[in-house]
Amino acid sequence: MADLAILGQHLLNGLLIGCAYALIAIGLTMIFGVMNIANFAHGEFYMIGGFATFYLVSLLKVNYFLALPLAVVIVVVLAIIIQQVIFKRLRDAPVMTTTLVTIGLSLLLEHLAHLLWGPQPQTIPNPFPTAPMSFAGIYTTPLYLFAMAITAALIVVGHVLIQRTRMGKAMRATFQNKEAAALVGIRIDSIYLYAFGFGAALAAAAGAVLGGFIPVEPTMGGVATLKAFVVVILGGMGSFVGAIVGGLLLGLAEGLGAGYMSSGWKDAIGFVAVILLLLFRPDGLFKRG
Amino acid sequence: MKIKFFATAVALALATFAGTAAAQETVKIGLVQPLTGPVAYDGNGYANTVKMLVEDVNAKGGVLGKKIELVVEDGACNPAQSVNAAEKLVTRDKVVALIGAFCSTSTAAMMEVARKHKVPHITAVSTAAQLTEQNNPYFFRAVATTPMLGEAFGGELPAAIKGKRFAFLVINDDWGRSMVASYPKNLEKAGGTVVATEFFQSSELQFLSLITKIKSSNPDAIVLAANSQHAAALSKQIRELGITVPLIGEGSWTSDSYFKLAGPAAEGVYGLVEYVYTIKNPINEAFVKMSRDKLKENPSKFSGAAHTAFNVMVDAIRRAGAADPEKIRAALTQTNYNGAVGNIRFNEKNQAYGQDVYLAIIKGTVPEVVKVAKISKP
Repeated sequence: MADLAILGQHLLNGLLIGCAYALIAIGLTMIFGVMNIANFAHGEFYMIGGFATFYLVSLLKVNYFLALPLAVVIVVVLAIIIQQVIFKRLRDAPVMTTTLVTIGLSLLLEHLAHLLWGPQPQTIPNPFPTAPMSFAGIYTTPLYLFAMAITAALIVVGHVLIQRTRMGKAMRATFQNKEAAALVGIRIDSIYLYAFGFGAALAAAAGAVLGGFIPVEPTMGGVATLKAFVVVILGGMGSFVGAIVGGLLLGLAEGLGAGYMSSGWKDAIGFVAVILLLLFRPDGLFKRG
Repeated sequence: MKIKFFATAVALALATFAGTAAAQETVKIGLVQPLTGPVAYDGNGYANTVKMLVEDVNAKGGVLGKKIELVVEDGACNPAQSVNAAEKLVTRDKVVALIGAFCSTSTAAMMEVARKHKVPHITAVSTAAQLTEQNNPYFFRAVATTPMLGEAFGGELPAAIKGKRFAFLVINDDWGRSMVASYPKNLEKAGGTVVATEFFQSSELQFLSLITKIKSSNPDAIVLAANSQHAAALSKQIRELGITVPLIGEGSWTSDSYFKLAGPAAEGVYGLVEYVYTIKNPINEAFVKMSRDKLKENPSKFSGAAHTAFNVMVDAIRRAGAADPEKIRAALTQTNYNGAVGNIRFNEKNQAYGQDVYLAIIKGTVPEVVKVAKISKP
């Protein structure tokens, strides 16, 4: 019975991390799908979302549940500035150029964070009791459950926004064919702004809710970006559903792999899975769209 | 034309002369520490302590009648970056001594720079065993190794935690692996058994699956090798997943930064440390007071290490009588220094012995020393 509880624990852990991966990856895949930008600075939105929440709560004494959306807003404003100042000018530049720019941006943001906030990792103070809860031998905490609930809710919200709203429809149209979308009157500049802002918002939200138990520090964006790219490639670049499925799969694969195989290979497991998958399905699990 | 040439030549000659004259007026010491990256918090703490001590020494007249000039570079706990930093310090800044690079793997890379350029290199942080097995006469380790700590306290652990089953959760580098290679035999001699061994990557901050795996092995205690950033996340997540057994750690488990980050999860944690600020002797008490006055904090384990490494080096420079790398190296081998952690001498492999090491337990954010052991000559 204990073995089942351990399996259940691994699955729950994997689900929690998988939801986070999915949330970050959705933004990345959207930015790629709509704007054709491989955003290597994506993880930095995750990191800044975490730091913004931390400083709102600990320095400005904002209520935790208010600080979360506020931090997301702050990151979205930053993303809008970046989009208008940098990426708008690179609209017609070759993919390599914009990719290099995002790499430079990633370095800039990481080191700015280090300069402004120092290297010390910070945990976001939160009102949840720290005592673990258990059912059937599986342990979790109120914060873990809250994080999972929020990430899952945001994924659903994202899906609804894409599929059921006019903005979503316009985004999907731009996804499919930029020129045609422009011809039918869709304002491409606005779409780009929304896509970039939305992607950044999701990444920031992940940083905000996870920062309560995964310490926030300036270098955490790099790993997040890498994992997000793995998920996006796994799920199919530009596929919203693919990012969700890919994120959950990677989280579960890492959790189970580390749990039942070697812990030192935890990160490698995800990458090996991607390589294997790409050998058989070069476009990823789902096609673009 | 001729005058122009002559003038330039004179200017160049003056500049070179002035350059060397300036170099002779200070004693340049190079420091490589992780100022960015995963252990940047502790690295910056170390660097700030050394800066404070340099100011103090210079205020009291410096060394050999000259002021110490400290040049600091960022090694980021990355071997390649640490090597570049050390090369720059030696070739461009012309330092006569090197301190660094914090992480064992980076120190191992940096000591080759010291060997190549024949500059003495000291560390009081890196504890992986093989560093002093490289036959490098320029490298000095002024701290006990991980295996030494294992030998000093490994046998005490089963009695301390009243259990026999031990699980290891260590960082995946030379230090963590050194612990896993050396501690088990000491545990086993005292009746303990190792029921699990897990490694985590330096870039990782969520350990849920590793912790779950350790949990399924049913340990009576978990032994860890981790520094501030990881230590806090590990302790919290271990408690959050419902594990209540004692934690025993090598690393920054007795530092104020750990208490702040880990919160209630820090209570009852055992630290296997080479320094703790609650040590009672005049030298340490003066150091703690200086740290509280100037840096507004109690010295962490790494600040203690900085104090030892810096003072051993300065002591050697004084006995060498000159800011000459070879003379300093020779003086280091003859070290007989009394500091915050006791008496330090080096054996023929330049490994320190004679100093104290401590098993401490955290009670209400104060690390209380439970047991003291002296390191015997290896």
